[in-house]
Amino acid sequence: MKTKTFSPGDLVSLRTKDKSWQGHVLESYDPSVILLKLKSGYNVGIREGEILDARVTETAKDIKKPEVELVKKKGLRNVVVIITGGTISSRLDSKTGGVIATDVGEILKIAPKIGEICNIVKIESPFMKMSEDMDHRDWKKIAEVCEGHLNDSSIDGLIITHGTDTLHYASAALAFFLGRLNKPVALTYSQRSIDRGSTDASLNLICAAKYAVSDIAEVALVGHKNSDDNICLAMPATKVRKMHTSRRDAFKIVNGEAIAEISSEKFKINREFNARDNSKKVKLDVRYFEKVALIKVHPGQDPSILEYYEKLGYKGIILEVTGLGHVPGKMSQNNWLPKIKRIIDGGIVVCATPQTIFGRLNLNVYSSGRDLQKTGIVFLGDMLSETALVKLGWVLGHKKWNHQEKMLENVAGEVSKC
Amino acid sequence: MVHDYNKLGLKAGLEIHQQLNTSKLFCECPSLLRNDEPSYEVERKLNPVVGEIGEIDVAAAYEESRHKTFVYQVYDTNCLVELDEEPPHEINRDALRIALQICELLNCEIFPVSQVMRKTVIDGSNTSGFQRTVMIAHDGYVEVGGKKISIDAVMLEEDSARPVSRENNKVVYKLDRLGIPLVEIATGPHMHTPEEIKAVALKIGEILRACDVKRGIGTIRQDVNISIKGSKRVEIKGFQDTRMMIKTIDEEISRQKKCVEEKSCRSEVRNALPNGESEFLRPMPGAARMYPETDVPLLKISRELTDEVRRNLPKLSSEHKSYLDEFGLNDELVKLILKGNKVEEFKALAEITSNYDLIVKSLTIFPKEIARKENKILREVEGILNLDVLIEVLENVGKKISVNDVKNVLTKIVEGKGLDEALEKSDINLKGEIEKLIKEKPGLSEGAYMGLVMGKFKGKVSGKEVMDVLKRVL
Repeated sequence: MKTKTFSPGDLVSLRTKDKSWQGHVLESYDPSVILLKLKSGYNVGIREGEILDARVTETAKDIKKPEVELVKKKGLRNVVVIITGGTISSRLDSKTGGVIATDVGEILKIAPKIGEICNIVKIESPFMKMSEDMDHRDWKKIAEVCEGHLNDSSIDGLIITHGTDTLHYASAALAFFLGRLNKPVALTYSQRSIDRGSTDASLNLICAAKYAVSDIAEVALVGHKNSDDNICLAMPATKVRKMHTSRRDAFKIVNGEAIAEISSEKFKINREFNARDNSKKVKLDVRYFEKVALIKVHPGQDPSILEYYEKLGYKGIILEVTGLGHVPGKMSQNNWLPKIKRIIDGGIVVCATPQTIFGRLNLNVYSSGRDLQKTGIVFLGDMLSETALVKLGWVLGHKKWNHQEKMLENVAGEVSKC
Repeated sequence: MVHDYNKLGLKAGLEIHQQLNTSKLFCECPSLLRNDEPSYEVERKLNPVVGEIGEIDVAAAYEESRHKTFVYQVYDTNCLVELDEEPPHEINRDALRIALQICELLNCEIFPVSQVMRKTVIDGSNTSGFQRTVMIAHDGYVEVGGKKISIDAVMLEEDSARPVSRENNKVVYKLDRLGIPLVEIATGPHMHTPEEIKAVALKIGEILRACDVKRGIGTIRQDVNISIKGSKRVEIKGFQDTRMMIKTIDEEISRQKKCVEEKSCRSEVRNALPNGESEFLRPMPGAARMYPETDVPLLKISRELTDEVRRNLPKLSSEHKSYLDEFGLNDELVKLILKGNKVEEFKALAEITSNYDLIVKSLTIFPKEIARKENKILREVEGILNLDVLIEVLENVGKKISVNDVKNVLTKIVEGKGLDEALEKSDINLKGEIEKLIKEKPGLSEGAYMGLVMGKFKGKVSGKEVMDVLKRVL
């Protein structure tokens, strides 16, 4: 009760039976325990009931953060950084014990080498979200911010920082929304937060900056190649997937190859690319139809799930199918074929992607593949399911397009040629 | 007394780090030190850290570490947690329990709630750039020579990675030691003579060894903080051996006296050398920056847990000694039990037989002798001759086997014989065999017959038995 008036951050003096305590009050998860930051730096809990006397010796102060100063060097290309949230832009507020979004400038301070690579002329944050909370509206917002800078002739490239959970959806969306690019767009991230010395953000940001000043006018996801802090890959936006929950090199290229290998010393380009042309403008195409679903087919699954989506007004479904391209068929207790055919006839675009993640579908090897083909399903070759989902939403956003044909067209490198 | 400590105003405190005998603190990897080739290596950098209020720590040390490459050698006994590629798992409950035992034996107050902290480390000895540490208790004491020496705090924390080599811009570490649970005990600066410091160190050492802690070189690290009037606090690290403690402290007092005269005192960390001197290691670091480890929940230490720990506290070896003395064992045997940490086994076997000497021999001397004879590692022999086996064997003394057979039976078990088979009294008619031998080769000496019989029945009969029969027959 004596501690009711405490606010997080207050410097307080407490007395228990045989000891007095001084420290800063932190946000406690348990109302019966006062969490205190001692002078030694340790945070400890003291039972409320054991506190005999308590007083605030100093109320919490707001500490002003130092202003970010953007220095411009002659001869360096100009880059804009767009910050959207995620681990790369969150850190702990030790005053209260909560996690807060960082000041936009902090991110660059952890990678001061960027100042030798490019001029950061602007840091912009359309929103701060963890990526699991994002959807196509957020991708659209990012794309719109990008458009402004891409069509500004004084800007040479963009870096976008983003949470990792759904970063590969966002990278695919930007590849479709931004169309033929005139400048590099680098998406990057961190798996270890920037309040620890071992953060991977530092190398990722340096490599993203090197990509942003390169002549590769494509959307790329730039991040650790392996567990070492010395080399990153520029990964194609539609051919990349988060493949690990926690490692630095969580993102892997699937059915494709890196655009470039980047380290502090080197920039090695691996393939032909769409070249920079600052004189050109980009034209955004952000139309999107959100009622699209991704279903993973699994043994014993009831195909009625398709009708559920149909009832909800869905117009597109990506079926993540087994093996070379199969669903439970005629010999199964749950034959999917009639229901797939029926919803396709009813106007839903149904596409198939491999749930093996790696490899390409081939419907001719087994009869079950040939049976599935007869339903009118669109086989998407070696396209990633997540990329396919985003693409389907984008394609269905365009009423006049032939949706089936457009899904098969290689718009942004999403299907690899053999 | 080398110095007049009272006049000099000697103040000293101890900081003791002890490894616990469990798997790692924040993952389930074994706490196993490796000397073989690592599976692979990982190269990392450390970055300046964004601080609490968004400022960057631009300490010179950071500038230095920034240009360094840290190489970590990874073993198949490491996982992604030690590699800083996966968040920490929940705190090791076994380690917590042992740490709480130590807190209780040190008469400390245990915090009901505490928070695992990240203590910034920039020398690369932690892959994460910080050491995880949690304060679990405060304000205890140890009684030494009738005086209460205060214990300020007890922490449970991760050990660091072992350095392998240092070059200009590259430091190589092994990941084997990283994450082994350590208990850190900090006393108040309340010791005033070197003898007192040593006595407190020994007392705390005794308390630690009563609990399940690691033994051997490198498993305990003792640092002494010393100052005299007019000097500055100096920390001496690296005491492996308390025997050198007094000499080292006296040397340090002499050094500090000189620096007081020269007005050249500085707060620094020194390294204890084997000859009792010490060498400068580094200036005393400022308070390390600490911030919470948000990847693990707040550590709640329930009253149930502390009560349970309190009810099952291990006995100190001084208490064990008085317990063992009651059995009428001689000092030598008591020492063997204490040294081998076999008090619990002794207690169990004392229920089976009142031949206490035999119990001690079966627990300590026989396994050693058998290991030597069979060319096996002692630990392996002790593993085979576990408590269950010893109970079965000793239960049969005076029934299937005699006191003199015990070592033979144990040897047979170590050689791979089943318990029943080993216990089976060899159906050798010793008397008949010996009589037969004397008839065949009459007129030999007792020793010669002994040699022939023992040679014939290799290990199947005990020397004493043969001697007894021989004496009767001859």
